[in-house]
Formats: sequence, structure tokens, C-alpha cells
Amino acid sequence: MSIIEFSNVSLTMPRTKRRQGSGRKHRLRRFAGETSRTMVPVLENVSFTINKGDSVAIVCGKPLLRTSLIRLAAGTLIPDSGSVTSTERVVPMIAIARAMGISFTIRQNAYLVGGLLGMSAEELTEKLPAIIEFADLSNYLDRHLRGAPASARQRLAWSIAMAVEADVYAIDQMLVVGELEFRQKCWSAVDTLRENGATFLVSSDGAKQYRRFCDRALYLEQGALIADTTVPQALVLARTARRGPRGD
Amino acid sequence: MLVLRDLQNQYTKFRLGYLWSLLEPLGMSLVLWVVFSVLLGSRALGLSPYLLFLTVAILPWWWFAKSVNASTRIFRRARGELAFSTLPPQIWVMRTVLSSTVEFLLSLPVIVLAIALTQDLPGMYFVFFPVAIFLQFLLLYGIGLLVSSLSVVIPDLARVVKIVIRAMFYLSPILYSISNIPQSLHSIAAINPLVGILGLYRIGWWPEEHASVIALVISLSVALSLFILGIFTFHRLKPRILKEA
Repeated sequence: MSIIEFSNVSLTMPRTKRRQGSGRKHRLRRFAGETSRTMVPVLENVSFTINKGDSVAIVCGKPLLRTSLIRLAAGTLIPDSGSVTSTERVVPMIAIARAMGISFTIRQNAYLVGGLLGMSAEELTEKLPAIIEFADLSNYLDRHLRGAPASARQRLAWSIAMAVEADVYAIDQMLVVGELEFRQKCWSAVDTLRENGATFLVSSDGAKQYRRFCDRALYLEQGALIADTTVPQALVLARTARRGPRGD
Repeated sequence: MLVLRDLQNQYTKFRLGYLWSLLEPLGMSLVLWVVFSVLLGSRALGLSPYLLFLTVAILPWWWFAKSVNASTRIFRRARGELAFSTLPPQIWVMRTVLSSTVEFLLSLPVIVLAIALTQDLPGMYFVFFPVAIFLQFLLLYGIGLLVSSLSVVIPDLARVVKIVIRAMFYLSPILYSISNIPQSLHSIAAINPLVGILGLYRIGWWPEEHASVIALVISLSVALSLFILGIFTFHRLKPRILKEA
């Protein structure tokens, strides 16, 4: 049973060229047409389906492409052409911590982020103890995020995203998450969710995460879907692609 | 949807400190009152009591200016949030408009204070006051959608909007009354949707304030078409907004 379906999806994303010189110089350059905002093609005619219970790895060298793919799946990005249909609720776990405010307390941040992920206030109130317990932040609950340890943001983000009742979790760059102990806790949480039939969409630049639990991999290059294979094969493809230009 | 709206509203509650929302318009109307009524001395502008006349219009004006100004920044500020949030993006516009509305409602005691100072109670047309609030809310939501989505595509729009707002302050009957404008220009002035709405605010005290029904209808239809235009533009530009996030 397919729950996410990409059919002929093409997408371009805006990219500003790196600013050169001072602000005024830059503006003059832009005026003279030397630098301009360009649209870079990200995806071209990509089609695939994801079935229920799959754990799919997105193997690709470009972070922008990985993030875009996840956002498309979650519906926070609309493709230029083609269509993305998903029948289940997708939780995009992308830079969630960026939305938190350091002058809010942990509790306020939990409500803020939870609400942004589509949870209602009552639902959050109910789940807050579990979230805080998971993130191991009970001492900091009513303190400002500013005063909490640096890893608190990421831990909180993870805990909230895990608490959302969804069928698909799209995880981007899981490397950034905190210390070893917490990471292991996250993995076991992911495993329990998987056993309950949740679908995962994982993107990362490290090979370890893919090997850990993905049973399927999508290898993309230059915006096109090259292969829909197993993880080891996709990693081999990625390695040869990296070495290729060097004449290896 | 309603729950989410409430949630968003709740967030804004701890984003803003409302301590100043009473003092700011009060100070503003006092300054303008001193300048136009005490110093200039003439009662040529507006209707009496001038302090009340000014306050009744300046609070909605404040609300309008703040909301429209904030609209230019909505999606630049919500960048990180839009990337992962599964909520529809118009929630951010609604949140901005709602929070400025709450601020406006909280500043209403200033009008009560002005009534107490001038001992001038409103008449039966006061029922139009809430109607005006509702209409202005719709207008602001429409303009919010329009301005916020356009300023994603054209970042320079924020500066233009600032100038337009400044111009509208003098083009709208805030310091003066609509009756100060020559009769022949009434229907042209009515293209400014604020003319009709501000007239509705004031009608409780000064029933003669809004001159013609036609002008009112023009104002309101302009407001309504801005609203529709806003929704339309927003939906056209939605993919672009999400891309920039």
C-alpha cells in the first residue's frame, strides 16, 4: 500500500549568489546585472512511491535536495510540476530547533513547536510530561531556553517530533542530535515506532544512519532519481560518483 | 482550524508585551490634541470635542498601521517555522492580524477615558462601532495576505508600504472630519477604504459624520475587493512563499 506518491515531480529553488563586497557594492552589482537571484533546478521528473512500513534512505550529496524532498513529502513545499500525494500525516523533522526562541521557557517552546507541528493545546498538555521526560529536561521546564544546556534545543525538538502521532516521520540530518546516551534513546524510540508500523524517510550525510535500519534507498544525482535499491548498493553508487571526477 | 487559530493567538501573547498598548495611543492623541486644538486654537478641523474625535479615529488608525507594517515582515520572520510546520501558511497572516487586533481591543479603554474626560456619551448609532471593528479586521486580513505574499517576491515593498501608510494618515479623516473635504471630492475620497470604516467608528457621536451612503458603499466595496485580491494573490504566490522559507 503506497502512502506517499511522487509523480514526475520537478522543482526549482531560489538561490542567491554569495554576496561580494560591501552592501552598496553588492546592490550596484545587482543593478548592473552581474549577480542575480537564480533558480537552481533541484528535482527533475522524479517519481517513486513509498509504502507503508518502509524505512527509506535518501542518499544524495546535496543537502538542499534532501531537505526539499522531505519538505515535499510533508507538504511544506509545493512542486513546480508533477504532484505529490500523501495519504498519511507526515512529520517533517527539519531544523525544528530553529523555530524556538531563547527567551521562552522550555514549556513555552514545547507548546510553540508542538503547535507548529499541528498538535492541539489539549493534546500537548497531555503529552508534555512524556516529552519532557524523554528529553530529560524536567529540571529546566520553566526556565528560559537561554539558560538550558546547549543540547536542550535538539533534545526537545526530537522529543516533540516523536510525540506527534503520525504515520510517517521524515528525518533530516539526524547527526546533529546530542550526546551518545540520548542518541541511543532516540534510536530505541525509532525502533519501537517502526515496530508499530510507522514509516520512516531518512536523510543524512553519514552512512551509519542508513545502514542502521533502512531497508530501501533512493539514490539521487543531479536532481534525477538514479536508483531505487538497497542501502549498501546506493552507498556504493554514491562512493563511485564521488570518486568519478578524480579519475579513479 | 479554530483551535489552531487560538493556539497561534496564544503564542503571540507571550511574544508581545502589552504594557505599552495603552500608553502609546494615549500619548499620541494627547500630543495631536495639544497641537491641533490648544496650540492652533481653531476648531476648524474636525468636530468637537476634539480630544474624543481624535481618539476614536486614532486607535483604529494605530491598529491599521501596525498590522499592515507587520504584514511586510511576516514571512521573513517565519522562515524557519514554515519549513517544517504542517499548518497552512495563512495562519501566520492571521496570527499577525489577530495579535494587532487584540492590542487594539486592549487599547479601547483610552476611548472610555476620553469619554469620561469630555462627558460626551455616544448615541444610538454606536451599534456601528463593532461593525466597523469587524470590517476593519476583514480589510486588514486581506491587506495582510496581499502585502505579505507580495513582499516575499518584492522585498522593497516594505519601504513603499511605509510611505503609503504615512500618506494615508493624512489622506484619511483622522485629524479632520470628512465634512472638511469639499462635497465634490467625497466619492473620490471614499476610494480610501478607511474613510468608510472611520466614519462608522465616529457615527455614534457625530451622526452627520459620514455624509453619503454612496461614499460608504464605495469604501466598503473597495475594502471587500482588497480582501478578495489578497486571498487570490496569496494563493497564487503560495508555492513561492514556501520556497523562500
